[in-house]
Amino acid sequence: MNQLAIPIKQLEANDLERITKKQKRIKMFKGFTFLAPSVLLFSLFLFYPLGRTIYLSLFLTNSSGMPTVFVGLENYQNIFSSPIFLKSLQSTFLFVLYTVPGAILVSLFLAIVANEKLKGIGFFRTMYASTMGISTAAASVFWLFLFHPTIGWLNQLLNAFGSAPIGWLTDPEWALISVAISTIWMNIGFTFLVLLGGLQSIDHYLYESADIDGAGYLYQLRRITLPMLSPTLFFVITVTFINAFQTFGQIDMLTRGGPQNETYLMVYSIYQEAFMNYQFGTASAQAIILFVLILVLTVIQFKLGERKVHYQ
Amino acid sequence: MKKVWLICFALMLFLVGCQTNETNQEVEAQDDASNKAEESSDEGGDEAPVEVVFWHAMGGALQDALDQIVDQYNQSQDEVFVKAEYQGTYDEALTKFNSIAGTDSAPTMMQVFEIGTKSMINSGGIEPIQTFVDQDGYDMNHLEENIINYYRVDDQFYSMPFNSSTPVMYFNKDAFEAAGLDPDSPPTTYQEVEEVSRQIVANNPDMKGFALQAYGWLYEQLLANQGALLMNNDNGRSETPTEVGFTEEEGKSVFAWVEQMMADETFANYGTNGDNMISGFFAEDVAMFIASSANVRQVVDEASFEVGVAFLPYPEEKERHGVVIGGASLWMMNGQPEEEQQAAWDFMKYLQTPEVQAEWHVGTGYFAINPAAYQEQVVLDAYEAMPQLKVTVDQLQSTTSSFATEGALMDMIPEARRITETALETVYNDGDIDQAYQTMVEQINGAIDQANRARGE
Repeated sequence: MNQLAIPIKQLEANDLERITKKQKRIKMFKGFTFLAPSVLLFSLFLFYPLGRTIYLSLFLTNSSGMPTVFVGLENYQNIFSSPIFLKSLQSTFLFVLYTVPGAILVSLFLAIVANEKLKGIGFFRTMYASTMGISTAAASVFWLFLFHPTIGWLNQLLNAFGSAPIGWLTDPEWALISVAISTIWMNIGFTFLVLLGGLQSIDHYLYESADIDGAGYLYQLRRITLPMLSPTLFFVITVTFINAFQTFGQIDMLTRGGPQNETYLMVYSIYQEAFMNYQFGTASAQAIILFVLILVLTVIQFKLGERKVHYQ
Repeated sequence: MKKVWLICFALMLFLVGCQTNETNQEVEAQDDASNKAEESSDEGGDEAPVEVVFWHAMGGALQDALDQIVDQYNQSQDEVFVKAEYQGTYDEALTKFNSIAGTDSAPTMMQVFEIGTKSMINSGGIEPIQTFVDQDGYDMNHLEENIINYYRVDDQFYSMPFNSSTPVMYFNKDAFEAAGLDPDSPPTTYQEVEEVSRQIVANNPDMKGFALQAYGWLYEQLLANQGALLMNNDNGRSETPTEVGFTEEEGKSVFAWVEQMMADETFANYGTNGDNMISGFFAEDVAMFIASSANVRQVVDEASFEVGVAFLPYPEEKERHGVVIGGASLWMMNGQPEEEQQAAWDFMKYLQTPEVQAEWHVGTGYFAINPAAYQEQVVLDAYEAMPQLKVTVDQLQSTTSSFATEGALMDMIPEARRITETALETVYNDGDIDQAYQTMVEQINGAIDQANRARGE
């Protein structure tokens, strides 16, 4: 019996290894089956276009976007030596710098104010969130009227106070700021709503015990509200950040990249190169650069920002 | 795992690369298919009306005027039904066409702006109008000479001119009178415009003298009016251009003009936005501006004061050469059933009749392509009521024909326009004109190089 048992044991060990391997493979297969729909959709709508964009960025193209001459990395070299693109890069960063903190701070303030339980607060909540329901195009037309150099309300207001009118959309010093202001206004609806949601889900027992301990309003805000809101804030910052990099509609409506290319943001530049100048190669190269840029910045944001986020 | 990703990535690039050739084959296959369709449809009876899909870029009031003409045509006969589809601005429509050129989704006929001419010829998706002119023995010579000069390329007509306009100078007659100026003799040269602007501002400090929208088309027109070429090689009419055609003196003249008016503080800056400029004019913030003659009807109707229309100004030391045709023409697509093409051709001929042209001219301010329209009663009545409409026609007819006024042919002109607009805006915002000019010329030449290389010839 003993003599027999040893080979059986060896057999079992071998089998075990084989079986676990087989099980692993089945598991893997199962996993991929579950992934398949999203992998398929991603390949069709994201990976394939991405690959195609990389491919196109190595070519010059004719007007229907078919590659004609292979130029290697020349499109990238041209882009980085083009003053227009460098300017566009600079404007994009400035724009992100204006709009992200601007929108977050304003809507955070509004959300904290609207979180108070007062009579008729529902009306204000609806008002503050209402810009979410306005399309970029409609909002841009509305701001276009406000910004009109002579008959616009903003300049008439300035006029009433006796100060000189500002060329909101025509003065290169102001154009980017004007577009940023209108963008902040458009973004407030969404960020306000998400932040208010975050505030409402904070457990009110925390405030009650803080009250008993004698903590003041500002102390509660700093020590309870903001830490508890940090996951929501982090989400909102990431989303507005990426959105700001991809701004297009209001630029097309308000300034068309002018004056003097001050508001020539990257996505608008890509659009112009591809669909107005028919330089799909250059446009693709710019798109790849934008992709890498957002990817890198978002990774950095996650690495740095997530440490400060408090998850319950 | 890293290897797997690398392989996937390589495979993806490979697949993406292969795709190009497949598309070309598909297009050819579709061409074959549509050829067959063509043959079979020839045999079919003519019971149902032939449907012609017509892409156009006329928005707003212009669309209403066009739809009316199309309706009249559809009701006038029962063999052809024209379906007019608005496809966005000229730029947008051309982009849409470029992505479907030569496929089944292409319309039968399409309206394309004048600077898209070269790009349409290069697209390979069109059938030159010359084919139908020859088949039909149609006489193009009864159309306005200055207009057909633009659209005749290498002695061939590629497209049928349809809506043509030129820039004119609008001015506020009441403001002229208030400043003690004669409203019936508007300024004709840059220097006179400067002088008149000074007087208007001196009389009314709330009103600026002159506005020039930062619009590449206007810059091209101001060049042509002093006899300057936009592109070399005879504006691209003899060979493909290799660089800009204007001299430094000619190119800078417009910048210097604006700089002078800015120094005088008589210039109103509306940037690239034409609508803002026109509403500024209505609000009596500016006394003169330059815009397309297609706006004449709207501006005269809507202004609360008396509006004058004058010729485009030119530098004093030069002669007036006249203007280049702006606007658009109608293109026939190839790969469509012959029956549809013939139907579209019939519609194009209908559009050129004096009656239709008269209605179009009066309804919009675009020219009548067919000069016989100017004898129609509708037009004569309209001139009686709105003499400003006639100025635009006079300006076109007094244009001397030369390579400068025939206009430039090149596929990258839309890009050149945007470069020019940036340069103009730089000048409007106190930028240095020498530097703005140098940058503009360098960028346009760069774009010409790139376009010539991309054609891969």
